[in-house]
Amino acid sequence: MSTSAPAAYPLDNTFDDPTRRAPLVVGDNDFHSITEKVCGIVEMPRTPPAWWIAFFISVSLTGVLFAMIGYLITTGVGVWGLQVPVAWGWAIVNFVFWVGIGHAGTLISAILFLLRQKWRTSINRFAEGMTIFAVVCAGIFPGIHIGRVWVAYWLFPIPNQMAMWPQFRSPLLWDVFAVGTYATVSLLFWYMGMIPDLATIRDRAKSKLRWFIYGVLSLGWRSSNRHWHRFEMAYLLLAALATPLVLSVHSVVSFDFAVSIIPGWHTTIFPPYFVAGAIFSGFAMVVTLVIPTRKFFHLEEIITARHLENMAKIMLATGMMVGLAYSTEFFIAWYSGNAYEAFTFLNRAFGPYAWAYWIMVTCNVLVPQLFWSKRLRTNIAVLWVASILINVGMWFERFVIVVTSLSRDFLPSSWGYYRPTLVDILTFVGSFGLFMTLFLLFVRFLPIVGMAEVKGVMPQAHLRDVAVQGHGDYHGDILTERGEVKA
Amino acid sequence: MKPEREMKYWRSLDELARTPEFVEAVAREFPTDEWDRLPPATRRQFLKVMGASLALAGLTSCRWPEEEIVPFARRPEGRTPGVPEQYATAMELGGSTLGLLVTSVDGRPIKNEGNPLHPDSLGALPATAQADLLQLYDPDRSRRLVERRGDQEFVRSWDDFAAWTAERFAGDGRGAAILAEPSSSPTMARLRRRFTETFPAARWVEYQPISRDAERDGLAFAYGRPLRAVPHLDRARVVACFDADPLFEHPASTRLARHFAESRQPSRERMSRLWVAEPAFSITGGRADHRAAVPASAVPAVLARVARELVAVHGLALPEAAVNLEAAFGAAAADGNGFVTELAADLAAHRGTSLILVGPGQAPEVHALAAVLNHGLGAVGSTLGYTEVTDPDRPSHVRAIAELAAAMTAGEVETLLVLGGNPVYDAPADLGFAELLVGVPHSAHLSLYDDETSRRCGWHLPRAHGLESWGDGRAWDGTLSFQQPLIQPLYDGRSALEVLATVVGDGDAGGHGLVRETALESFGAVDFDNAWKRALHDGVVAGTELPVVEPELDGSALARAGAGLGALVAAEPPSAVKPELVLIPDRKVHDGRWANNAWQQELPDAVTKVTWDNVLQVAPPTARELGFAEGDVVTVSARGASVELPVSIVPGQAAHTLTAALGYGRTAAGSVGNGVGGDAYRLRTSDSPWLVPEVAVTATGRSLAMATTQDHFAIDAMGFGARLDRIPILIREASLEHFLADPEVFHHMVHHPPLKSLWQDREYPGEQWGMAVDLNACTGCNACVVACQAENNVPVVGREGVVRQREMHWIRVDRYFKTEPGVGPMEVDQAEMVFQPMTCVQCENAPCEQVCPVAATQHTEDGINAMAYNRCVGTRYCSNNCPFKVRRFNFFNYHKNLSEVAKLQFNPEVTVRSRGVMEKCTYCIQRIQKVRIEARNGNRPIRDGEIVPACAQTCPARAITFGDLNDPTSEASKLREDKRAYATLAELNIRPRTQYLARLSNRVGEPAVPEGGHGAHHGGDDDHGKEAS
Amino acid sequence: MTESKSSDIFTFPKWTWILRPAVAVALVGGLVYVSVFVYLAFSPKATDVGYAPIQPVPYSHALHVGQLGLDCRYCHTGVEIAAHAAVPPTQTCMNCHAKVRGESEKLIPVRESFATGLPVPWIRIHDLPDYVYFDHSAHVRRGVGCVSCHGRVDTMEVVYQAEPLSMAWCLDCHRNPERHLRPVEFVTRLDWVPGEDQEVLGARLREEHDINPKETCYTCHR
Repeated sequence: MSTSAPAAYPLDNTFDDPTRRAPLVVGDNDFHSITEKVCGIVEMPRTPPAWWIAFFISVSLTGVLFAMIGYLITTGVGVWGLQVPVAWGWAIVNFVFWVGIGHAGTLISAILFLLRQKWRTSINRFAEGMTIFAVVCAGIFPGIHIGRVWVAYWLFPIPNQMAMWPQFRSPLLWDVFAVGTYATVSLLFWYMGMIPDLATIRDRAKSKLRWFIYGVLSLGWRSSNRHWHRFEMAYLLLAALATPLVLSVHSVVSFDFAVSIIPGWHTTIFPPYFVAGAIFSGFAMVVTLVIPTRKFFHLEEIITARHLENMAKIMLATGMMVGLAYSTEFFIAWYSGNAYEAFTFLNRAFGPYAWAYWIMVTCNVLVPQLFWSKRLRTNIAVLWVASILINVGMWFERFVIVVTSLSRDFLPSSWGYYRPTLVDILTFVGSFGLFMTLFLLFVRFLPIVGMAEVKGVMPQAHLRDVAVQGHGDYHGDILTERGEVKA
Repeated sequence: MKPEREMKYWRSLDELARTPEFVEAVAREFPTDEWDRLPPATRRQFLKVMGASLALAGLTSCRWPEEEIVPFARRPEGRTPGVPEQYATAMELGGSTLGLLVTSVDGRPIKNEGNPLHPDSLGALPATAQADLLQLYDPDRSRRLVERRGDQEFVRSWDDFAAWTAERFAGDGRGAAILAEPSSSPTMARLRRRFTETFPAARWVEYQPISRDAERDGLAFAYGRPLRAVPHLDRARVVACFDADPLFEHPASTRLARHFAESRQPSRERMSRLWVAEPAFSITGGRADHRAAVPASAVPAVLARVARELVAVHGLALPEAAVNLEAAFGAAAADGNGFVTELAADLAAHRGTSLILVGPGQAPEVHALAAVLNHGLGAVGSTLGYTEVTDPDRPSHVRAIAELAAAMTAGEVETLLVLGGNPVYDAPADLGFAELLVGVPHSAHLSLYDDETSRRCGWHLPRAHGLESWGDGRAWDGTLSFQQPLIQPLYDGRSALEVLATVVGDGDAGGHGLVRETALESFGAVDFDNAWKRALHDGVVAGTELPVVEPELDGSALARAGAGLGALVAAEPPSAVKPELVLIPDRKVHDGRWANNAWQQELPDAVTKVTWDNVLQVAPPTARELGFAEGDVVTVSARGASVELPVSIVPGQAAHTLTAALGYGRTAAGSVGNGVGGDAYRLRTSDSPWLVPEVAVTATGRSLAMATTQDHFAIDAMGFGARLDRIPILIREASLEHFLADPEVFHHMVHHPPLKSLWQDREYPGEQWGMAVDLNACTGCNACVVACQAENNVPVVGREGVVRQREMHWIRVDRYFKTEPGVGPMEVDQAEMVFQPMTCVQCENAPCEQVCPVAATQHTEDGINAMAYNRCVGTRYCSNNCPFKVRRFNFFNYHKNLSEVAKLQFNPEVTVRSRGVMEKCTYCIQRIQKVRIEARNGNRPIRDGEIVPACAQTCPARAITFGDLNDPTSEASKLREDKRAYATLAELNIRPRTQYLARLSNRVGEPAVPEGGHGAHHGGDDDHGKEAS
Repeated sequence: MTESKSSDIFTFPKWTWILRPAVAVALVGGLVYVSVFVYLAFSPKATDVGYAPIQPVPYSHALHVGQLGLDCRYCHTGVEIAAHAAVPPTQTCMNCHAKVRGESEKLIPVRESFATGLPVPWIRIHDLPDYVYFDHSAHVRRGVGCVSCHGRVDTMEVVYQAEPLSMAWCLDCHRNPERHLRPVEFVTRLDWVPGEDQEVLGARLREEHDINPKETCYTCHR
């Protein structure tokens, strides 16, 4: 064991020694240093130039997005590459893609919370934020993809002089409700979890304005015992409420396809398949964002290598599920004896869109296999590249499902080949701009790590417990300056 | 030029009151024509009513616009505002007329339909004749007389022109000539007589690029004088077509298609057999039981072999006079071609009920041989009738214009008046007519458009559209019919009759007067007015067909034919190095006259399914030999001239034979037609107008994304295979024998488990609409597509739109090529062509309805899948979920750039859809509603056949039947019980209301149960298309 | 870091009080907004009831129909046979006014129109929503009185729109036609009142003439 001070606080907590519980926060951190590190980001006296550059790019792309939307609405859906038979194209692909991304947050904060996965605390705030922004991006597409945006409100059950209601048999209507609910609950969850930390920033505020804004946002949080008691109760309830939503949203989204009769869409496997894929892509996106962020803001000690490793493991698992789904589809296509179904899948793999299919398989099934190796999955660079590839793959999964199935359905006379237009592409790129813009604002002005919760899982929070009797959840030894373990 | 800029249009009367048009209208309150006997639609009222109809239509989109109601000052007798009326009239094409029944709403003609009383229409119309209506409202039509001196233009009046004619046509008319389109009009004939009498030294020339002169001259060879052949397919049991397309490319094609369909009833007695030998797929070729793809230059040899076989093997005794021919066809090399031997045997076995037809593209000698054979086989008088021609003395069109060109070269023509036509564009290229015309000191051209010919003439005269002018004419069998205007000329045009009348100094008579005078001569003065009224009301005069003659063969004439025939029979077949080019009249723009007609340009070609282009048809193996791929732009050149065309690879094309359609590459057609396709006329010469031997084909290296409505991309092998597997299921076909042996054959073609629905089945009391489409009758002629477009305000999306696969036609006539399984796309040399008109089949269990989030598409009590356009938000989910992909989406506002005048064609009974809205076939709901309301007002049930959707109304072959399925006596429900009836994709449990009647083939020696045919045994709970539907 | 600035840690601090007016405003404003919205949406302003534009000719239905007792069909000839009831041609006016009140100033436009052949541009009052295909004959021939949709025109000096003419309004009658059915001979009698209970009469007439108004889209939309 080394004696030099820095080495005394090894950053690597990815060891597999079952006798030692890996710490969730490494390095020489106590409550104060955590607060300093996290609030430090928000309280930076001068915004770093890098942030400005990133922000500028993102905002310009957002501008592109809205320009494209304006052009679309004034000219008509024809500015996209859509046609008959392929009447849904990138817009729907992007919608499903973003909704999928928006799954990790709530999963981490709700399900892992209920499962008592303490390691979630370092990343849940971050993931929740990402979820909100992804859902915002997702929400745009179904709205703008319809032919007459100005009557989109007909999709909502509003009393009107036409005495007309929406049709509740249509999955699109279910989407409206499912995504709406999910967005609301996620937002609540995210904001509520932030209240104590906002209060912290308020209390550390130097300027009046800052104090006022964060004061308003923190809703007069006093961190009295009663506050904490109610907070935790509410958090628990919201988690319970959000958990089924994690599963329901993407199931409902998958119904858009599963309920139709088009070969390649009409399958019962979609709900679990979509949810698995969503979590897969969600975690991939978290990793993609968290790696540069923790590096840039020096949060390695809070968002540790072990966190990344855990996420890699989840990606491996969900990636396998997705792979299983792909193969099951082929098996059923053959087993069902339905000629149309069979052709659709052969066509996916070997037809005009084979290139898209194989990109998808490579990125979603092959790439995660890297994570079997501990060396690779703990290698930040590899992990980061892999996560990006997985995002690409998951976008192509949606493309393959939507486009190839439509391009060749029952009557050969109506077969076609879909090509996106520049507008399609710019709209998609623009949506990333919007996503990044919101994200950058988030990391600059809000606590990106749940300080209160992290502190809750630090050993300092449990000294007394340890002293009394080591109860069930003991969170890693406190490494003393000499690197010995206090008993 | 952008005419809609030049001319101001009105929306409402107060605006109108300030426009010059209005002032003009008042001035012409009582026009020169006698309108007394017509329901008047004078310009004045037309303008007013137009204001009214636009105001009533509420075209504006503001929330509470102040709208005006502008009633007549004096309402015409018996006119109720907003109630459509139909008038009988006629249209002339290629020296033969078709009878029209034109629907007019508030003075606007909006739809051409066939006149049931007319022998060549029988209530139906080909696509071209229907689309002709659009030309009436074409904003590109010329609006004024123009005199051109050098590059100067002067606007003139008709009086100026009258002065010009008086000056130019003087004395005995020496140096003057009139180049007219051939016409069957008695009035035209009368005026022409007047003309030749008045100006004995003047020339009268008739020319049109597409004619049946070869047949005419061939019959002259056979019988010593030109005759007209009137085929009767209804009486024929065996029909052999040699490069002939009677079901489409014939003045009487509508009647022939109807009679052919009637001769295909599923019984041994009433099922005819069709043999076709042709270079490229024609409509008729698609219906053939036996088809041989032979180069056009080899067709004479095939016919010769058949003749030899008939004489040698079947002991056909040719009449005395024909012996001279024997030498010619006797020389035909015998080969093991089963087609020839079987055909000969079949013909011999059906003497008196067989018929041989040769196409207009073949030489007169070949027609002569066919005539002799028909004579010998006893066809004449039974399956084939001959009548005298009305103009026996005229030379063939090609020769006529060649002579004119010679005279022009010799400077003998000082004045040339061109009545219609477009010779500069479509005269044989070797004549150099354009340059010659410029050389003529005084020339005038009467035309709808200021076109290629007008641009080179001293005068351009705006021509009145057929629906704006008076006229008369004869059907192919000679029946007399009358043409009456439905509307005063929009642009002050005049008809050829009126202009010719001006020339002969009868200009004041007016079209009405001229036609009436002719009628007076033929009807006689006794009770003339009633006869005249009746004639106008019916549109035709019954019993005026020309008498059938029984001519005798003329040995001396035949002797002359013999020599030529020998050469034709011995002709060298084309090869990869010396391919031949066959020129055909385009199936859409004909000779180019409909080039500026957006409906025709966007109509998919029946065979290639290409729109907005003409293509070079090449057989797959030939394309591979020449190294061409679909869409490659190639240069076809012969004798110094050349044209660039994109390659379209078409199975069933004869080897080394290229086919290109005439009528494209116009330079002065108008904003729609200019520069569309390549001008094949450049390769057309007067000595061989239809066949260009030994062309050179070279790649340009460029490739073109063709606007096709099918096969949108070069098909990969896997897709090709899957398509082949599906064709027999989608378009079910069996031999007559097989069907008679096992009537259930069509219901054993698809098996699926019993069908259960997620939703509760609903009751269907009262009228339940359904449709039956007889694939055994459908020829794929596209008439229904245009009828639907006209009836339902279906927009045109343009070339780019079709390339993007956004065509809006509610009816898609699916065309498939059946080929040998296991043969790759580029190896195919033998193919069958089958058609399936596909439009919304009104599923009872409709996938589209369940997914619409705003309930814009709903099922009605009478079982129609209704579409509320104004509720649609455009999610396009319904289209995705439609297994037939028959829903059409307005990706843009396709009416935005439509000129106001073009909007006058709209059917006010149907919503004009805006962008972002899904649309589709509704069984012509407006027609159903009209009849239902009438019936309910009269407290009577709806009679069977009272409701006729536009497609069914115009189908030449009567392939489409519509009716009440709850009424067991209705035609539709009877056909549904037919053993041939099946529902496409019934295994999806969608329960289509439209069912198809399977195709039947009648080949020689087809076994009752083909090997590999499916036996009737299958699982107990196994279900079939029939029960499911 | 969580020591309290306020004496009472269980209440919001003073500085948050400034938020209360904001909250109040939001609540009240929202309420007002909703009520105004609803009012506008369902008020005659939206449905155009009472719309009574000034016509080029001050034609009084009250006089011609109410007092002189002209039948609707004398002028609106299409009403029983066609979709459009049709505003009469100038000729119809002149049938009488060639003799009666020949010189009246009010009639100048009519006489001009008759002379020039130019129509009188009447302002449309009963303007159905776009994309609706309404057929007068189908209603009148079943015994739906003119008054049901047009109100007591015989009492109107200036004709105004009496009913909302909205889709819900149409459907209401298509769902319960009994309330508006009358013997066919009385359809144009605007002042006619049933001798018995309308519901009973309506039900009987509906039975007799087997009147089942349709509600599916294409009944009105094509």
